[in-house]
Amino acid sequence: MTGHPANGLDDVVHQRVRLGILTIAHEARQVEFGYLRESLELTAGNLSQHLSVLEKAGLVAIEKGYAGRRARTWISLTSAGTSALREEIDQLKLLIRQVDGTAR
Amino acid sequence: MTTYPAGAGEPQRLLADNRRLARQVRTAQRATWFPLLVLAAVTFAAVPVYGLGGFVRTCRAQPAGGLICSVYSSAALIYWPIALVLAYALIAGFYVRRNRARGIGTRVVPYAVVGIVLAVAAGGALTWFVTHPPAGNVALLGLHLAPGQGAWLFQLASPASAIGLALLVLAAVERSWGLLLLAVGYVVLAFVPLADLGWVIARPSPWASLPRLVIGGTVLLVAGLLFAARQRPWRRAAE
Repeated sequence: MTGHPANGLDDVVHQRVRLGILTIAHEARQVEFGYLRESLELTAGNLSQHLSVLEKAGLVAIEKGYAGRRARTWISLTSAGTSALREEIDQLKLLIRQVDGTAR
Repeated sequence: MTTYPAGAGEPQRLLADNRRLARQVRTAQRATWFPLLVLAAVTFAAVPVYGLGGFVRTCRAQPAGGLICSVYSSAALIYWPIALVLAYALIAGFYVRRNRARGIGTRVVPYAVVGIVLAVAAGGALTWFVTHPPAGNVALLGLHLAPGQGAWLFQLASPASAIGLALLVLAAVERSWGLLLLAVGYVVLAFVPLADLGWVIARPSPWASLPRLVIGGTVLLVAGLLFAARQRPWRRAAE
């Protein structure tokens, strides 16, 4: 993972929706499925697919529970997810700096 | 292998999205108006406690001869720690319940914990100060105490300081510059002599604390209403 900063980008995280999920889960500490779906303007099926990818990569933890009779799914970042988000942001900033520098 | 366009457009868009989503969550999590209104209520509720609770005089003999006495509201010493601990529990409960209903977590726990610790510590310190009166004569929050080395510590241990210092934590938790300014101003206000506030009731009146309580409570109330107008608590989270 050397050379161009794009090589440092993780394919699992470097995706608009998944980066959004990680960002929201990081800020909110814990986020409910419905909030993610509304904020990211996704269908339930689409969001589930992205969550499944993130969960398999060990970046989020998914907890199912009930609020009264209503089933609710809560998503939180794992420590690996927090590190992955930080690294992605750093790499994006680096990439922007490098592209801006090349363009001058 | 990740593909990316030749320009910096895509990373910039991703970062902009990232910031927008983070801002959206923070906005949804904020409920600054609630703790300010609760603390204003606690401050105003202290007025009758000072006024009607009665005062106790503690005297100590000085080595050079004579007595040094402190006069204090024993009811207020009990009221503040209990009222503030209950207030912080109410605030934490409100944030957790409200944010869970909105589908997000909360960062209010450190504020509530610091608030409770400061309330208990300030209550303990005040009790110690008034039962161990040093030489001299200074008045604060219905209490008489000597100037000298411990005077600023005494002011630091006042309920207003405890409220203001805990608000600094809330400002950090909510990342709010407006609240930070208010918290700093409130702590400074706790140290300002009553005469400088232009409203003094001569001691030994049990209402001597009224100006400070009314001024402090009004600041919290007005700030709470301003934050409520800005944060519009009746609005749904995702708007």
